[in-house]
Amino acid sequence: MSIDKTEDLILNMGPQHPSMHGLFRMVVHLEGETVTEIDPKIGYLHRGIEKLAESRTYTQFIPYTDRLDYLASPHNNWAYVQTVEKLMGVEIPERAEYLRVIFGELSRIASHQVMIASTALDIAGWTAWSYAFRDRERILDMYEMTAGSRLTVNIMRIGGMSAEPPAEFWPALKSFLDDTPEMLEEYYGVFLGNEIAQGRLKNVGILSKELAQSLSITGPVLRGSGVQYDLRRAEPYSIYDRFDFDIPVRYGCDSYDRTMIRMDEIKESIKIIKQAVRDIPEGPIMAKVPKVIKPPVGEVYHRVENPKGELGFYIVSDGSTKPSRVRIRPGTFVNLQMLPIVAKGWKIQDVVAIFATLDAVLGEVDK
Amino acid sequence: MENKELLKQRVEELAGKVNGEVEEILGAIILKIQAPYIIETLTAAKSFADVPCDFLHDLAGLDLGDHFEVVYQLTSWNGPQRLRVKASVDRENPVIDSATRIWQGADFLEREAFDMFGIQFKGHPNLKRIYMWDDFEGYPLRKDYVTEPIELRNLVRQRKEGE
Repeated sequence: MSIDKTEDLILNMGPQHPSMHGLFRMVVHLEGETVTEIDPKIGYLHRGIEKLAESRTYTQFIPYTDRLDYLASPHNNWAYVQTVEKLMGVEIPERAEYLRVIFGELSRIASHQVMIASTALDIAGWTAWSYAFRDRERILDMYEMTAGSRLTVNIMRIGGMSAEPPAEFWPALKSFLDDTPEMLEEYYGVFLGNEIAQGRLKNVGILSKELAQSLSITGPVLRGSGVQYDLRRAEPYSIYDRFDFDIPVRYGCDSYDRTMIRMDEIKESIKIIKQAVRDIPEGPIMAKVPKVIKPPVGEVYHRVENPKGELGFYIVSDGSTKPSRVRIRPGTFVNLQMLPIVAKGWKIQDVVAIFATLDAVLGEVDK
Repeated sequence: MENKELLKQRVEELAGKVNGEVEEILGAIILKIQAPYIIETLTAAKSFADVPCDFLHDLAGLDLGDHFEVVYQLTSWNGPQRLRVKASVDRENPVIDSATRIWQGADFLEREAFDMFGIQFKGHPNLKRIYMWDDFEGYPLRKDYVTEPIELRNLVRQRKEGE
């Protein structure tokens, strides 16, 4: 009896599995422990948000955008309201722009903290998980004191912001910003500087620059593959052209660099928030927009740099109070295409690490 | 903006070759073509001199009542140029060539457009439903899709023989 070839094994991972970040299922073909083929199955969280948009008014749709990437809900609101504002030609007050930047960047930090935590957890690093989640809690507290909710905050409106942050928000923000360098050191010490973590992540799941560009990959995954492309610099939306910050880029193309790039981005977000807090003017937070939002006939495509990839909205208006079509281009849905290509030939535990560094949130993938 | 004028010039040259129309809505350049010209258009746009549109950002279906449109949002890795290509597809027989040969990233996006609108992408390596289950009937994002109340919906899928 020959033993050099084992029988092919088909293993079903998910949809309910701790490493699947929500409801994701993949059918993994194995030879021994080596992956020969991956068939990703998505749609377990599909709620038909694009169809729901067609029967709701423009304002009513804002809370639905919270449910896309629920780890960075202010950013989704931002992408949507900016698209509608572009369609209507609304100019929003300066103070609202600054507040949007502050909340957008806070949500980027929170999202990256969850990514670092869950990557650690997926490769069995329980300790790092609790550190990152402890610190994220402070951002959620800041959401709560401003908007009243912690996860799906629904903080932006067409024409500005829903609420002015209370007096206790600013000291909380300052102390959070002062503590972040120490937090990052802790994450590095307990997780990314750890030899076992590095052994699990370094040189695992190589995504080359050419493949990343051909697959339309965006966000930190792209920048971890050596492409210095960030919409905040390539096509500055909102007021990002006023801030001084760098676009971090890493050339390792592996899971480790895809994780480290998030640490670099947190540092840049802190820089941006500090400048925004310094420069924020007094004034109103809502522009004068009509009570009934009725954009003119037309269509618009707008995209923003979400923490996980570029989020695009394509809205077609027929001149009524409800959109004729809302198309959502979720970043992680497109990024997910790399998984079957990149994970081929790796061991099954590496597939979990590669999937973790993609940082897919199934609310966004499945819409 | 110099870049935009240059792009517009290139798009107009291309429009002559593929029987297209150039439009501008809210500052965005839109090239409207018929479905059979899509591969020629996308290949040409990808290698425009000086203003290449080499980044397929999005691909989506659109139901316009009497026909469908497949909307391609093209942009670039190295410049601010943006182009929207709209290919008109027949409603009765919605077939268009797949862009996966030009960009691998069109894979999931085309599967989604197939799932939601029933548009067939010729040459796609794995054209299956992506969000809905395989034996789901109908195409949800078409305007004539009937969204029945939940009480009337058969929530439990009937088991087939041998399952």
